[in-house]
Amino acid sequence: MDNQLIIIVISAFFGLTSGIIMHRSDFCIAGMFRDLFLFRNSPLLRSLILSITFSMLLFEVARLNGFLNHELPSSLYGLPSLTNIFGGMLFGLGMVLAGGCVVGTLYKLGAGSFPSICAFLGLLAGSALYAEFHLTWKKLSLSTRLGDAATLPQLFDLPRTLIVCVLLIFMGGFLVRWQTKGALLLPNRVKGYLQPRTAALLLAVIGSFSFILLGMPLGITTSYAKAGSFIEQLIIPGHVASLGYFQGRGFQYFSPISNQTLKAGAGPFWDGLALVQFPLILGIVFGSAVSAFNMGKLSCRMNIPFRQVFSALIGGIIMGLAARMSPACNVWHLLGGIPLLSIQSLLFTFGLFPGAWFGTFLLTRYVLKS
Amino acid sequence: MTEQIEKSIDIDVCGQICPSSLLTALREVNNHKKLLRSGQLQLNILTDNHDSINRISEATGNMGYSVKVKDRGNHYEISIAKTSVVKNF
Repeated sequence: MDNQLIIIVISAFFGLTSGIIMHRSDFCIAGMFRDLFLFRNSPLLRSLILSITFSMLLFEVARLNGFLNHELPSSLYGLPSLTNIFGGMLFGLGMVLAGGCVVGTLYKLGAGSFPSICAFLGLLAGSALYAEFHLTWKKLSLSTRLGDAATLPQLFDLPRTLIVCVLLIFMGGFLVRWQTKGALLLPNRVKGYLQPRTAALLLAVIGSFSFILLGMPLGITTSYAKAGSFIEQLIIPGHVASLGYFQGRGFQYFSPISNQTLKAGAGPFWDGLALVQFPLILGIVFGSAVSAFNMGKLSCRMNIPFRQVFSALIGGIIMGLAARMSPACNVWHLLGGIPLLSIQSLLFTFGLFPGAWFGTFLLTRYVLKS
Repeated sequence: MTEQIEKSIDIDVCGQICPSSLLTALREVNNHKKLLRSGQLQLNILTDNHDSINRISEATGNMGYSVKVKDRGNHYEISIAKTSVVKNF
């Protein structure tokens, strides 16, 4: 792998800036879906729609100008299957119980949140646990495959630019209406707060540059499995060696900076995924910690009700499992797959809603009891 | 007016998972509605979550209470009381 240091520095920079942006705006994707069911109103979800729409525009502009030549299906986004919906449902449940998604957990952890530390440990455990039934799940995924089209343009046999334009006009209509009514701007009483709509635009720009420069959009969950496998390797190396999921290197993508196709896997070895995702993870945690410190709010409170800590841990495990079963996490699908019009990502997103609904039900009924 | 407030209650929800701070604040406001409305009580919610600060302020403000947010070092304090009687304890 050539130019490793450059890739690490760029990815760490993306992580650092994302961490600061998400901490300052409290860009909690889990909260966006949860509030839809808890309060029947989710002002933050509008910012997520803004981010998805802007990413779609940036991806298409980059593609038309020759900066992004990614064809689906690929290792990044494969063919759709019923398991994508199921994975999305499980992910939605997990992220609401954990109090943050895979990325939300990181920026909250960086600011010192004890439940998020527990959710992070759960994520590592859940991701590693998936290796135990990977083959069975892979077979199920193949047997429930939904056709040979990976994207909407392939499904409808229409030019990609046409579908992107239609969707941009449709979603743009909502966004303009919200902007005119002031619904994208949230009331604020906190000094140093970043409006979520600004965060949404900045995250879309970072995601697009990540795709153009590093060959993949923002995403981190394969590296959760990888980190879990490193830990498992220290405890039960013989078992790790026997698991096909940790030995395979089936994931491959073209790295523009290395100028070569890199192979990667979820096992305990340094590869093209670890190269991009580990610096991103550390960058988000560090960026958020710097942001919290700068605001004088870096602190870790341990006196949290047991139910909440337990919920965060269980939510983390469920989310870790779901991210491998989907396959991939919410950020990967929402800010990468949907802008690419991946059907897999759309199915995952449909699944998030019932999952988040059930998570909200459990949260209010059993976790947040007074 | 300020001398009407006889006591204040601190509710610490720092570090708790979302949306605990918002739900706890709304529940406590509801539980102490009578004293709050009469101006005898001030509720202080201690939280470190940005989104909760904004949402608690907005929700309780819409209920007709006076809301003040103060930066208290590693957390924020949201003081909720009858209109124009919020005071510093």
